[in-house]
Amino acid sequence: MSEINQTQVASVVKKEATSEEIDWAAAKAHFENLKSTKPRPPKPKYAVTIAVSSRTLFDMVAERKIFEEEGLEKYVQHQQDHENEPLTPGPALPFVKALMTVNERLRNLYPESEELFDIVLMTNNHAQVGVRLMNSINHYDLSIERFCMTGGQSPIGYLKAYMTNLYLSRDCKKVQEAIEEGIAAAIMFKPDMETQLSETQLRVAFDGDAVLFSDESEIIVKQHGLDTFFAHEKQHENKPLAQGPLKCFLEALGKLQKKFYAKNERLNCPIRTFLVTARSAASSGARVLKTLRSWGLEIDEALFLAGAPKGPLLQKIRPHIFFDDQMFHIEGAKEMGTISAHVPYGIGQKYNKGKLIEPEKQQK
Amino acid sequence: MEDKKSCTGPLMIALQYNDLFDLDSVSTSINTDALPKGRAFTFIKAVQTVNERLLEKNKTESLLFEVILVAKECSEEIKLKIVESVKHYGLEIGKFFFCKKEELINTLQSNKVKLFLSTDKNDVNEALHSGIPAALLYDQADDHVLNQLKVIFSGDVIGFSEDSFDSLSDFGFSETQIETFKAAKICMKEFAILIGEMRRKFGQENSPLCTCVLTSWGSRNVCASALKTLREWGLDADVAFCLAGAPCNPILAVVKPHILWDGGFHNMRDLSTQS
Repeated sequence: MSEINQTQVASVVKKEATSEEIDWAAAKAHFENLKSTKPRPPKPKYAVTIAVSSRTLFDMVAERKIFEEEGLEKYVQHQQDHENEPLTPGPALPFVKALMTVNERLRNLYPESEELFDIVLMTNNHAQVGVRLMNSINHYDLSIERFCMTGGQSPIGYLKAYMTNLYLSRDCKKVQEAIEEGIAAAIMFKPDMETQLSETQLRVAFDGDAVLFSDESEIIVKQHGLDTFFAHEKQHENKPLAQGPLKCFLEALGKLQKKFYAKNERLNCPIRTFLVTARSAASSGARVLKTLRSWGLEIDEALFLAGAPKGPLLQKIRPHIFFDDQMFHIEGAKEMGTISAHVPYGIGQKYNKGKLIEPEKQQK
Repeated sequence: MEDKKSCTGPLMIALQYNDLFDLDSVSTSINTDALPKGRAFTFIKAVQTVNERLLEKNKTESLLFEVILVAKECSEEIKLKIVESVKHYGLEIGKFFFCKKEELINTLQSNKVKLFLSTDKNDVNEALHSGIPAALLYDQADDHVLNQLKVIFSGDVIGFSEDSFDSLSDFGFSETQIETFKAAKICMKEFAILIGEMRRKFGQENSPLCTCVLTSWGSRNVCASALKTLREWGLDADVAFCLAGAPCNPILAVVKPHILWDGGFHNMRDLSTQS
């Protein structure tokens, strides 16, 4: 680059930095002036940003029906007519409340830090529907100050603009697009029954293959069977698996956990992570643990099921969210009251209960 | 061409010729080619699309956009070139005003311009100070969508309470600046009412006009307040962004608006007008 160009670029970058600083400072001043006990949102570049869609945050099943049967105009009108009626909670609401609890603890220990959870409402609803959403957020007293209501456009383009670390939606297509863009994302499902969840600790459960790790080993199971899989894993025990779509989110959780450990709060840490895998400890577990270690990541509890169903175990764990790539496991967890999130990644999408799905029947 | 006697229309927007045409890349020699397209080109094409769609719905529609072109300090050659180029590109320009620099504000005032658009934030600021509704014409990339006009209103200007405005002085805004913001809200109202009427002629989907509310600094209540106020003025916004201090440039880069109306806030934030 010529010298002149470098100066021009530097001056544009400097201008942008100034405008960003001004926006940040002005918002900070505005929130401080509000004289309320509401905490102001953290600076996005330091925060762990979770984008939730309107249908994961609230139960919009009835409204969705109106949209599908009577069209967009009637749907928007309905939402406007019922604007002052708060919506009922959706599958992500307990998760959001748990994030707020962690933030409270972090603010106590580190009052000046911006390393917190940030929650953004990311929806392709029209702004007019947004008024009802905001009223509902007020009703549940949620700490959500950032919104993106795209009025019909896909919100995927905005995920990066809002520096999203995790995107939760009920729309399969949007989640797939997000994963393709390199953003951790999952499709949330409402459990069939309610479970009592912790109000003091955020509990997150992950499947291993094709969620935290790539689907390389999953491919071997599906195409060559379990015996080949075991042999392969033993042979490659010391070779770390490639990363999967949710590895970065686990990493972000780990960073926040370390902040509690640094203040001697390990026993009372409000974040707990679980690995719930169909692998068995003896034959294929070592590789998983060694991979995590090579990434410098810790997981609080690793549970190897050796093929047993995940539902009963998850029922005991009671996570605020459980990520898995296979619908079979999601269904099982859902039936027993666990809030599950499907990660549509890897070879598992082409199979159902171990059998290859006919191409026409595969999810789009 | 259109009937201008109705009480609601037309919606007059003023542009400067150096935004419509790119004069920097013109060679000094006289040639017969039209002036190259400038930064306001996609804007004017989008405006024309809205007018076309409005006329499709109602052939005698009077609430249409009318664009007037203002040119300060130019030679006879350039004046001729401007008129020719407008014809060449088939642009619908209602009137041309060639005036001196000092006469700009008067020209805008006497023509009851509903909105003065410029990529030059000093011009925008001067206009606002003189009580003329003015907004930033956002710099566009060439491959921008041509069949939808996107307008962003600042949720902060519309949604801030009196207290919030006044508290801006603690933050370093001067009295004059604060008064400019408050004045901007009044200007926005007139424009919003007209845009709202236009917008209502189209449905939720496939509208050639898209209105957004961008709240940069305020809390969600400011955003909700802005949406409700716009509704009272007759404008149902389509899109809303609430940032609470998060950087807005990345969002603007995705939205790619034509008009960014934030009452002069941009002067403080030194907005980069390169996409």
